[in-house]
Amino acid sequence: MTGGPKLVSILRQGAYLIASVHTALDDSQMVRFRDDLVEQIGRHRSRGVIIDVAALDVLDSFGARTLRTIGELARLRGAVTVIVGIQPDVAFAIVSLGMSTGSLVTALDLEEGLALLDHGVGAGRSTLPDRRRPRR
Amino acid sequence: MTSLIPMVRRIIAARVDDAALAEDLVQETLTRVLAAASRVETGMLEPYAIVTARNVIASLWREQDRHRRNQHRVVDLCPSDAPDADLLAREEQEAVSLALSRLSDRERRLLLAHEVTGQDTRSLAGELGSTAGAVAAQLNRSRARLRVEYLLALDRTEPPTERCRPVLLALSGGDRRRQREVDAGRHLLECDVCARLSEPLLARGQNRDGEVCIPIRSDGDIVAARQAARELASRLGFSRTDLTLIATAVSEVARNIVRFAGSGEVVVSLLERPRRGVHVVARDTGPGIADVEQAMVDGYSTYSGLGLGLPGARRLMDEFAVASEIGRGTTVTMTKWRDQR
Ligand SMILES: [Zn+2]
Repeated sequence: MTGGPKLVSILRQGAYLIASVHTALDDSQMVRFRDDLVEQIGRHRSRGVIIDVAALDVLDSFGARTLRTIGELARLRGAVTVIVGIQPDVAFAIVSLGMSTGSLVTALDLEEGLALLDHGVGAGRSTLPDRRRPRR
Repeated sequence: MTSLIPMVRRIIAARVDDAALAEDLVQETLTRVLAAASRVETGMLEPYAIVTARNVIASLWREQDRHRRNQHRVVDLCPSDAPDADLLAREEQEAVSLALSRLSDRERRLLLAHEVTGQDTRSLAGELGSTAGAVAAQLNRSRARLRVEYLLALDRTEPPTERCRPVLLALSGGDRRRQREVDAGRHLLECDVCARLSEPLLARGQNRDGEVCIPIRSDGDIVAARQAARELASRLGFSRTDLTLIATAVSEVARNIVRFAGSGEVVVSLLERPRRGVHVVARDTGPGIADVEQAMVDGYSTYSGLGLGLPGARRLMDEFAVASEIGRGTTVTMTKWRDQR
């Protein structure tokens, strides 16, 4: 991503990569983010990836699908992906859209995400945690 | 408009001695101001009238001056001083007369009596055996027609289709219900002539409260559309969750435009009746959807793996409809109510 304030930052922390999305991304920016991240996973031989999406006010079908794709691509390269910071109303919209979030591992925040990775996420949660699902 | 008359008279009387000539110039000024009223922002009519009055006098002087100079010549070999300005003024004037001639006698008399002579609606109603309200409504319709005919005359265009005039009229009159009836938005996407001509008509209604129109051409516009929808809907006090549902639904239908049609627009408006709510229209002039029923089935898609767009958006909103015609395009209409009945 070039020019202007950074839309996304990807930081390396040991065997993990921590990616934070700072603002709404359009589809092409989302795709570029996906490619950057997957490339860095390979380059750093990362074992785990955390994607912080707390700044996103919308995750539509394309956004949610792209996150899912990142998770699958990362898995094929030996890394586990945890999505953190999904806002309650965003989570509700994803569910209402009818998106399958089956393969997305999520956590409340960065701390919990790191804890999940440390405990080997194989057995981690694979759906949106109940307490994060807002009531209408 | 009527309040401008004394001012215009003063400006012209101060510069032109001949009373009959001055009155002609007053009439000409007012006719021009009337014709241009559609292009002038509210509150700017007075300065516009001043400028017009001065231009009318200036062109008269130029005319007299040229006449005087030319009296010495047998043949005038010189081009006029400001050919462009003169030409423009003449074209504008001709457009006004042509536009006026396209109104019915009754419409023309009424309009001129009110706008130029300054007769008020009540006294006009008395003469016509009508009510002041009916006269005012008639005046509005006539003004709307005059604006349309003026623009057509100025452009030297005859509208290419039967639908053009009704659409332009609905836009000119700012009549939202009528605009929906004639599907003005779609016609503007399809008809180059109306798209060009309606710009000054629409410019008046821009920034209308409670409505935004976002042209959709690229990925970035999808984000712009959903942000605009969220912002507008927040004025009705929707919950954060509902705002996110609305923004997400707009994102889906806007993406549909980019992926399937290439370009189109999303119009978001606030509804007061029958209940408060937010209304979204997404339209394009793309290839259209052959089988709308099929397109509404989850997982169906003609482009790579993104089958959730329309069915997903439907689930997020309270009302949802798709109209599509092969070769003409697709219109998605959806509503979210603020108050559940
Ligand atoms: Zn037309």
